[in-house]
Amino acid sequence: MLRYIATRSLVALFLVWIVVSVVFLLLHLIPGDPAELLLSQGNVAADPQAVAALREQMGLNAPLWQQYIDHMTGVLTGDLGASFRDGAPVIEQIALRLPRTLEVILAASLIATGIGVPLGTYAAIRADGKADAVISFFASASLSTPVFVVGSVVILIFAQKLQWLPAGGFTPFSEDPLEHLQLLLLPACTVALSLLAVITRMSRASVLEVLQRDYVRTARAKGLPRNPILRRHVVRNALIPVLTVLGLEMGTLIGGTVLVEFVFNWPGLSGYLVAAVDARDYPEVVGIVMTISVLFVFLNLVVDVVNALLDPRISLVR
Amino acid sequence: MSRSTRKLILPGTIAALIVATVLLAPLLPLQDVRGMDIPNRFAGPSAGHWLGQDDFGRDVLSRLIWGGRASLFIAVGSAIFAAIIGTALGLLGGYFRGAVELVTVRAAEIILCLPPLLLALLVVTILGAGTWPLVLALTILYTPNYTRVVYAATQQVRGLDFVTAQRSMGTHPMKILVRTILPNVLPPLLVQMSLVVASAMVIESGLSFLGLGVVPPTPSWGLMIRSARGAMEVAPLLLVWPSLALAGTILTFNLLCDRLQSALDPRAVTAGGALWLRPRSAAAKKPATPVEADADAPLLEIRDMSIAVRDMELVRRVSLTVRPGETVALVGESGSGKTLTGLAMTGLLPDTLRVTGGTAHYTTREGKAVDLAKLDEEGIRALRGDEVSMVFQDAAAALNPVLRIGEQVAEAIRAHHDLEGDALQTRVVELLRHVGIPDPEQRVRAYPHELSGGQRQRAMIAVAVANNPRLLIADEPTTALDPTIQAQILQLFAQLKRDTPGMGMIFVTHDLAVVAEIADRVTVMYAGEVVEEGPVAEVFERPRHPYTAALIASVPEGGAERLTAIPGSVPSPRQMPSGCRFAPRCAFATERCTANPPKAEHPAPGRVTRCFHWETVT
Repeated sequence: MLRYIATRSLVALFLVWIVVSVVFLLLHLIPGDPAELLLSQGNVAADPQAVAALREQMGLNAPLWQQYIDHMTGVLTGDLGASFRDGAPVIEQIALRLPRTLEVILAASLIATGIGVPLGTYAAIRADGKADAVISFFASASLSTPVFVVGSVVILIFAQKLQWLPAGGFTPFSEDPLEHLQLLLLPACTVALSLLAVITRMSRASVLEVLQRDYVRTARAKGLPRNPILRRHVVRNALIPVLTVLGLEMGTLIGGTVLVEFVFNWPGLSGYLVAAVDARDYPEVVGIVMTISVLFVFLNLVVDVVNALLDPRISLVR
Repeated sequence: MSRSTRKLILPGTIAALIVATVLLAPLLPLQDVRGMDIPNRFAGPSAGHWLGQDDFGRDVLSRLIWGGRASLFIAVGSAIFAAIIGTALGLLGGYFRGAVELVTVRAAEIILCLPPLLLALLVVTILGAGTWPLVLALTILYTPNYTRVVYAATQQVRGLDFVTAQRSMGTHPMKILVRTILPNVLPPLLVQMSLVVASAMVIESGLSFLGLGVVPPTPSWGLMIRSARGAMEVAPLLLVWPSLALAGTILTFNLLCDRLQSALDPRAVTAGGALWLRPRSAAAKKPATPVEADADAPLLEIRDMSIAVRDMELVRRVSLTVRPGETVALVGESGSGKTLTGLAMTGLLPDTLRVTGGTAHYTTREGKAVDLAKLDEEGIRALRGDEVSMVFQDAAAALNPVLRIGEQVAEAIRAHHDLEGDALQTRVVELLRHVGIPDPEQRVRAYPHELSGGQRQRAMIAVAVANNPRLLIADEPTTALDPTIQAQILQLFAQLKRDTPGMGMIFVTHDLAVVAEIADRVTVMYAGEVVEEGPVAEVFERPRHPYTAALIASVPEGGAERLTAIPGSVPSPRQMPSGCRFAPRCAFATERCTANPPKAEHPAPGRVTRCFHWETVT
């Protein structure tokens, strides 16, 4: 098992290196001068003096290998450069905002898994019945409703009409834990809804598949009652692919909570990315994309390790 | 028209209506999209403005339709571009493989590693907002989806005979790709297309909502929702209309995709659940009231039992008797119904199969007679694993891969006894030792995949005998094993018989050599019927049915000069011969055999045969 984790970690490290290099190359090999691209807006040409100054600032005059080494040293020492907009180190903003984004994703995943797995299992048990049809339609509908629509409607209902919860904003947990959680609830539920649909569908399909397995028949042959069979044999095995999907979805969400953060005014990493894209602040964009990609790789590693713990066969395959 | 095709009509029609509406937008009698009417801003629905007016007094209905036009143009446009590029890459990669595969398929897959919205944002960063950058971003985003689908389909089609034939005839690869492979990959492409349109709309509307997509004053649903949010208190309906339009359209395309998929590939539709999970379902049988059994009643007496799937009979009027301590071998080719007979005794028949007639009287430990074929799920559950146990053929599949062996054995005990902690653990180790697993104290902690094939089967047997069953049904327990291991497992069964003299056993097998070694009596099944029955030695000495005789002749150790294979194969249940079911393959068959089914005859006490010519069979 340890050896498996070690090899998987090495592969992950390799992937991180690839990602960082690709982002670097994207920045430097895009046709045209990045500095000029940055400073020009639409069809208006950039001021040559400003471009020259920026080139110097970005270190674009050094040979490519020198720039690559500087870039990699920077990444290794946690220096992702300074923002164009305010000159502040990009890493500081990321360190401040990343936990907020992760918090929303984690809360949403907990809600979605907590409801989605039982719901999907129930739908599978009642496959082709009325309850299954209702659950499946609900899942399709929530998958089809874009997250910003859900967020807006949720605000309309719970904040505007019922006035149960605040419409958006952020209070640090250290200042007011209760308000923090209140503010977290709506964005987390909004993200959870589409995730819930994915997990419900996946659980249903996975349980249906496991029900056909021989070992479920063996469990029945032992004379076990229905619920222990479901718990120990069906759901436990069905969870493995569901967790894989959850991990991949969480990875996608790290870059995908943009809309939710925007709708609820949640000052997370993705919202920062939109602002950076809007201002075409290259160091910020590169820093955030790199962070997200690295997290994505790391999350895949976690998924693999958790899978190996759940299914002891996996760690034996190389 | 099949059911799955019929289900396509609804989403198909709605999708067509949506597309037609936005296509015909310029021709429809709509209000001017950009015509402002500030005095009437936020006006509710009226005769001139069916859905009311927005924050600039513009007509909501006409903006909704024109907005749909923009969204669908971008979504469908990028879906088509991505389809063309992705299909080309997939076809090339799938057909040529090697280096071509690397630069097409694998390169495209890199895109899948990035979160989709992030990638779209990156493209917008470089190119700026607007309709065409969006189309480009979405095209890049969805190209790999098509590439993967087409790649997989191409690889499948590539190996088919008619493609190989064309290649060997020297047809130009380009021609093969376009003429032969492309039409074959169209169905999955169609499914992918509707899926991509739906998810492209999600991303497009999201970016427009952020102000990074469609640029005002071009109407778009994402933009409409964005501006409606500011006026939520005054005019909540302004938020509702574009939200409904957007979600409804995406839902339509998603449904279309789902149903296209099931219409084009009926196999993908899963079998529906498991009836045993629904105790109150229609399949539940009425519980039978137990009666006292006769003192000399056999352990199990199956009489005229039939098993059918819908109206198709798979097992017909099978009779079988097992006395305490007796081992009955159930022999026959695949499809003879021997395994189904065994499964029926434990109530483990697949959902689609039912016992349609006959009885299976079993005498319980308390001396009650119960009909195993008529017990409800709860009734048979109480017996299963306790009094009546089953050993399955493929232990690797029959053991749960994620539970330790010890837990799986312990579970079988706990299902029927209140044994906990150390006592339970001791019993488990004892059982594992009993079935010959070396070093059982350590092996209780092993997972099934950590054991050898033979040890897995031993563990399976330990599960089955955990509660000292009175009737053990072994379903081809040695078939999946190496010959040397087979012999060891047979020895284990022989030892179990010696250790528990009262235990009856049904040993399902197709191997006559095994029968000779383990069984007291043998029941030969063919095409769902019992064709011969009797004590093993007698049947082997003098078979009374041509099928049994042929089976014996086909055993290598039979001492025969040459091996005779039985010509032909078991008839399918749909095309059962009206006379004797074995007649088409039988060397003794006469006209009489094909005219009427033979009745069971008794050539000697304890022997049964279903053949007109039993006296002449050698």
